[in-house]
Amino acid sequence: MNIQNIRNFSIVAHIDHGKSTLADRMLELTGAITERQAKDQILDSMDIERERGITIKASAVTMEYEHEGRTYMLNLIDTPGHVDFHYEVSRALTACEGALLVVDATQGIQAQTLANAYVATEAGAEILGVINKVDLPAAQPDLVAEEVEHVLGIRKNDCFHISAKTGLGVKDLLDAVCMLLPPPADRSKEPARALIFDSQYDDYRGVICYVRVFSGTIRTRQRIRLMGTGYTYQVTELGKFRPDMRPVDSLGTGEVGYVIANIRDLANVRIGDTITDDVHPAPDALKGYKPPMQMVFSDFYPGNNTEYPRLRAAFDKLALNDASFTFVPQNSQALGFGFRCGFLGLLHMEIIQERLERENDIDVVQTAPTVSYEILLRDGTVKRIDAPSELPDRTMIEEIREPFVKLEIITTNDTIGGIMKLAEARRCKLIKTDYLSPTRVMMEYKAPLAEIVYDFYDLIKGISHGYATMDYEFTAFEAEDLVKIDILVNGQAVEALSLIVHRSNAEPRGRKLIIKLRKSIPRHQFEIPLQVAIGGKIIARETIKAYRKDVTAKLYGGDVTRKMKVLKKQKEGKKRMKSVGSVQIPQEAFMSILDTGE
Amino acid sequence: MAELATGPTRRSHRASCVKREADSPTSSRCALAGLYVHVPVCRSKCRYCGFYSVPADGVNAVRFVDGLLRELDRHEGIEFCTAYIGGGSPTSLPADELVRLAERVRERSPRAQEFTVECNPGQVDANLLAQLREAGVNRLSFGAQSFVARELELLSRGHSVEQIEAAVLAARQAGFKNVGLDLIFAVPGSTLADWQASLEAAVALNIEHVSAYSLSFEPGTVFEAWRGTGRLTTVDEELDRAMYEWTIERLDRAGLVQYEISNFARPGFECRHNLGYWANRPYVGIGPAAASCLTEGTHACGVLRITNDADIERYLAAVESGRAAPAETQAVSLDDAVCETAVLNLRRRGGIDRAEFQRRTGRDAIQVFAEPIERYQAMGMIEVTDRSVRLTRQALPVADTVLCDFAALD
Repeated sequence: MNIQNIRNFSIVAHIDHGKSTLADRMLELTGAITERQAKDQILDSMDIERERGITIKASAVTMEYEHEGRTYMLNLIDTPGHVDFHYEVSRALTACEGALLVVDATQGIQAQTLANAYVATEAGAEILGVINKVDLPAAQPDLVAEEVEHVLGIRKNDCFHISAKTGLGVKDLLDAVCMLLPPPADRSKEPARALIFDSQYDDYRGVICYVRVFSGTIRTRQRIRLMGTGYTYQVTELGKFRPDMRPVDSLGTGEVGYVIANIRDLANVRIGDTITDDVHPAPDALKGYKPPMQMVFSDFYPGNNTEYPRLRAAFDKLALNDASFTFVPQNSQALGFGFRCGFLGLLHMEIIQERLERENDIDVVQTAPTVSYEILLRDGTVKRIDAPSELPDRTMIEEIREPFVKLEIITTNDTIGGIMKLAEARRCKLIKTDYLSPTRVMMEYKAPLAEIVYDFYDLIKGISHGYATMDYEFTAFEAEDLVKIDILVNGQAVEALSLIVHRSNAEPRGRKLIIKLRKSIPRHQFEIPLQVAIGGKIIARETIKAYRKDVTAKLYGGDVTRKMKVLKKQKEGKKRMKSVGSVQIPQEAFMSILDTGE
Repeated sequence: MAELATGPTRRSHRASCVKREADSPTSSRCALAGLYVHVPVCRSKCRYCGFYSVPADGVNAVRFVDGLLRELDRHEGIEFCTAYIGGGSPTSLPADELVRLAERVRERSPRAQEFTVECNPGQVDANLLAQLREAGVNRLSFGAQSFVARELELLSRGHSVEQIEAAVLAARQAGFKNVGLDLIFAVPGSTLADWQASLEAAVALNIEHVSAYSLSFEPGTVFEAWRGTGRLTTVDEELDRAMYEWTIERLDRAGLVQYEISNFARPGFECRHNLGYWANRPYVGIGPAAASCLTEGTHACGVLRITNDADIERYLAAVESGRAAPAETQAVSLDDAVCETAVLNLRRRGGIDRAEFQRRTGRDAIQVFAEPIERYQAMGMIEVTDRSVRLTRQALPVADTVLCDFAALD
């Protein structure tokens, strides 16, 4: 294939603005799939993605398209659409020369439209503006095009008006991809370099690397080297996604496909690494992706301690498919052996948890998520901690710094008041407001990540009747008046329940937390005191009353089977809890810490 | 007794045991078991009752009793140490048929030391009781449930307080020296004083045995539906507990000693048949929905639990054509049998008899259940002696919460 006829592009959009539907239409129009084959949203292969209506993992598909008598190879690289997945969007966009920025004609620009547009610009991609859902009665394509021009600087007359659902305008868009997006640079004479922008683990074939070739050619049976790790392998299979996997003999400069090289050790493939020829290696690796930054941390413990090795194996596997997820062994007095995991955000965390349970059938107990902190010690050194339990002794601490983010919220002007009130309660500082149109406004805040990371998004959705959208980006660690609160259950401090909070919030937060705990810890045969302490001083107390009476029903011959079933189930329920001293604490209790309960 | 030898010679019987079970589950020749005859027939359905039963007027009693006797005949070769006709309400059968059933059961269990019939106090008279006594029944268990008229009405028992007293009197006159009452506490709307009144009335009747249960809301019952709509509310947990504790204390003072979580008796009058269940000894249940538990003489074979199909028509069709009653057979694994034995034993006030447990299961209870035993010992919920493991007094009201830790091995 002539490099001039290759187009590598991505579709970026706010969630539900029609990215996956557009991808499906393109696959049909190019004959990659027939309409009948078209499962809805074919690019989203994981169950969880389907259910949540979002794309988690980037994937790629190769299409052939005739335009003005020439056959083009179109490589569509799908990107995730959620606030937590900046990193994955950036990886996918680096492998592209162009991006289609899709905006819903009924909703206009949303926070993630902006965030994605910034990433695409940063990656150097050419952006085409696309107004989708123009067939809907509520569509206001001209108004939305004006927003696009005002906010993103793409001329409104250059925007494509389409309906991905009906197919209207999609062919014109494909033509534009051929005409307006640049081809890859021709570096076919240079040593081979291919970027791994995604990977997947297959039980039979090992690691499947998703690659974009930037220079030279990769061939089957070639001896390749991963430049970051130095490991070498022999390519056993190369291919393209059409959208099913089809082997080819070689992948040339500018092409996108997969590489299988009998890579069994999960740890050897790093997303962002460069594949080169082992005998004639390129002098430098491709400029790496931005490393992902884990901002949210949570401990995962196996529900049953004997499952620790299985949990480790499951994390190894998950980490292969998700370069933005980290895990390190952790040992807690209360919860035994487990892992401290780092995530990009809360949604990312939930997805990992679900995949863990769904794909591996492992029960896990998960602690409340926390953010990372920087601690300036009296001796002048700075320490990064990922959990309140890692906080050094108070006497050694000069200051505690917490992560701040640039937070952008786009909402309707009649809901600004409610959102501002919430933001203020969460210690957010308003930096600027910008009207996108007479009725829609963008607010920019400086916000402590810890305050927005959990339920903030849900709350602004509620306040704005679903209209507001938000996105955030880490800016810096800054000192604040923060303290650690400890929770004592039956007199014993439970580290997994400790929190770092702003001093002004310590007492109310602590009190709310133990009230939640009181409700989520089942009553025991004895009374359980719950206490909140700052540095050994008790600031609040609640009590769980003793459990007093079972239904001591009769138990004769005919009742045995049923009764044993009931008792076994009751025991199973207990097993899902964790023992702290003689108190059984259910998983929800460890999560209740999150709920700031406005 | 069916408990058994643990030596290697018995182990070699494993295969043959299983085979025997396939064609005729009860062909063990020398097993001594309890016999339970189930009569799932009632004149009317009580609002709280979740058990399977059919209306008496829809059942051909002659045919039904014939069917039961056909099934009983299939168990030739088993010698019964106790017999028990329960329900449902056996007394909702016509007197002649109940007596015929009792006579035949007695014939089949000549050496049974205890033969009980469950009676609804509103469905007995001097004549029936005399005939039952004549047939060899030596123990009566009356479903009294309450001595508070409002509660009887709410429970829709279909008998009065006076009928209970008259029934017990009639039983004495018929010569019964072993009479028990079933009572229910924590009935919605009931006060501690109500329950105390019921207990006083029971004690005043000088009976030998009391079974006292706290009311549970069973799926599919009127009570459960009424609770759903708010028409009934459950009794407060503290009150429920106070009622239970009062039961233990008051009956003890009256000489009725607690010997199981819900059962109280004058010494020597503990229900032998039920003690068989709590010892996890073998028993044969006949009748629709009845359960049997057969150990085939050795734990090495594991335990078989056979539960007859509840449907009366299907039951009768099968036994009348000489086939076994339709049933679900469940092979209880050794581990499960160990757990069942522990849970059942711990319901007894005497708890697990360590030597008996070892004989029956081949395992040492203290070792098998080391973790929960130690944990609950530390909490004062379980006490261990050289010979036994038992629940303490304070564990009794929350027994299920403790017992569930014995319900499965980790």
